[in-house]
Amino acid sequence: MSKTPEHDPRLSVEIAGIRFNNPVIGASGTFGYGLEFAELIDLNRIGGFVTKGLSAKPLPGNPPARIVETHGGMLNAIGLQNIGARAFIEEKLPQLRGYDTRIIANVFGYSDDDYIEAITILNDGDGISAYELNISCPNVKEGGIVIGNSPDAAARLTERAKRASVRPLIVKLSPNVTDVTVLARAIAQAGADSLSLINTIVGMSVDVIKRRPRLNYGTGGLSGPAIRPIAVRMVYEVAGAVDLPIIGIGGIACASDALEFIIAGATAIQIGTANYYDPQVTIKTIEGLSRHCASQRIAKINDLTHSISRN
Amino acid sequence: MIETVAIVESNRELSPGYRILILDFHVDVLVRPGQFAMLKAHSSLEPLLRRALAVYKVYGPRRLGFLYQVLGRGTETLAQLAPGGEVEILLPLGNSWPIDASADKRALVVAGGIGSASVLMLCEDLRAARSNAHLFLGAASEGAIIGCGVNDFRALEIPMSITTDDGSLGERGFVTAPLERYLRDGVGSASSIYACGPWVMMKRVAEIAARFEVRCIVSLEAPMGCGFGVCVGCVVGVKSAGQSGYDSYRRVCTDGPIFDADTISWEVNAMH
Repeated sequence: MSKTPEHDPRLSVEIAGIRFNNPVIGASGTFGYGLEFAELIDLNRIGGFVTKGLSAKPLPGNPPARIVETHGGMLNAIGLQNIGARAFIEEKLPQLRGYDTRIIANVFGYSDDDYIEAITILNDGDGISAYELNISCPNVKEGGIVIGNSPDAAARLTERAKRASVRPLIVKLSPNVTDVTVLARAIAQAGADSLSLINTIVGMSVDVIKRRPRLNYGTGGLSGPAIRPIAVRMVYEVAGAVDLPIIGIGGIACASDALEFIIAGATAIQIGTANYYDPQVTIKTIEGLSRHCASQRIAKINDLTHSISRN
Repeated sequence: MIETVAIVESNRELSPGYRILILDFHVDVLVRPGQFAMLKAHSSLEPLLRRALAVYKVYGPRRLGFLYQVLGRGTETLAQLAPGGEVEILLPLGNSWPIDASADKRALVVAGGIGSASVLMLCEDLRAARSNAHLFLGAASEGAIIGCGVNDFRALEIPMSITTDDGSLGERGFVTAPLERYLRDGVGSASSIYACGPWVMMKRVAEIAARFEVRCIVSLEAPMGCGFGVCVGCVVGVKSAGQSGYDSYRRVCTDGPIFDADTISWEVNAMH
């Protein structure tokens, strides 16, 4: 992949001082450590990707069954199985530095101290552009969503993480709250550079013969096209509440889906579950956004950001 | 690993609920025995995820067969594919059967139900290597045995023991019964056992192999999100080497699907 592709200048975007060649980013948990996609797509063409959630120490994850398909989506309860922040820096990052794409490290911990420890380790990682603070994973009993559901706890961790971090801090919001704007405001005031939303929605699927949940963990996080309208609504709400760049996530599978988020208030978007069943979806989405800019005579994709008008 | 759209040449029912899908590719595809593909009907919205199917037979460099049982939404959609239809497919995926032609003087192959789809190419290779192979094929009924490709195995002229749950063909009972008898009374000792089938069958085969001190290799199955290692959804429990236990799970898709039976934590059922 030595040849650098030509990027459509209309698609370039900036978040917290970081320039992305385009607004299409692979979402955490669906893009591995990036390298898994090197055989399937030209990583130089995507705006960036977010690593699988990294913790200070490696984590085993939950016992199977970890995934189950539902209509228009899937439930997962992986439990953040990951190689750990140190192994990421030593084993994966050196192989990624040759690519012209933005690497965002997703950071996870069971406690505030765990998060800070992971960030401190990752601060040594040359080639990481930003951190995405994962305070919204629904599949672990401590950390994650426990912090992400409390504006006070989320703000406290954001403040500490921002102080510990040498890089811009994106905070990934949970949709499993009554009013996402309360959380967004608290995290913005605590110093976050950007917000990404939404993480998965807590759900359950039941095996009617065995009369027990299909997932070993019991509940799981719902993702895929089924959650997209909820995600678009939440991006719209948060865009009206805070003055931070927003990265929209939730069931995006094509350029038109991505545009919904951008128009509702997002500066960039992440593609998640669609990577599983359409590994080239990021590239197809970038091409679709270029076509849209051409046909609609749009000079810069971010001219569309938060351009929504109410009927 | 190739991601492409293949064309359906045929999609024939072998017996009720069992079909063979033959796909034509516009590029050469090199597949080793035991590898699999992720596939779904082109542009279909439901179900969302592709389905993992073992490559059953290589008819040519651009022509592959997939034997499958119609069990749920994914395979029901595949069953409706007609000749000329298009399939989105990612392959070849996973590792392959570790055949050691010099060591496998007497290889036993155990297939339960549609697990047979993963072992036809293995049997072809064992036969080509002049191994003294014996196949144990078990399924629910005579119809299921036909659906599991018994005629393709017969064409290889490998000695075969057949069992059915209802006794409609071969011996009534589970496939592990003749396997155990063979090892107890059989001529000479077996060098390897290769098994693919339901979890309980493979667990039992692994126990028998351990008792007779025979190398046992299994091909596992698990619900898969992606098939190429990123979703970490298809894990199987393994005997952890480290104190922390963080290496307790392996991905069936990229660390497998073929594992040494000794490494598997059989009490953690990955094939729900």
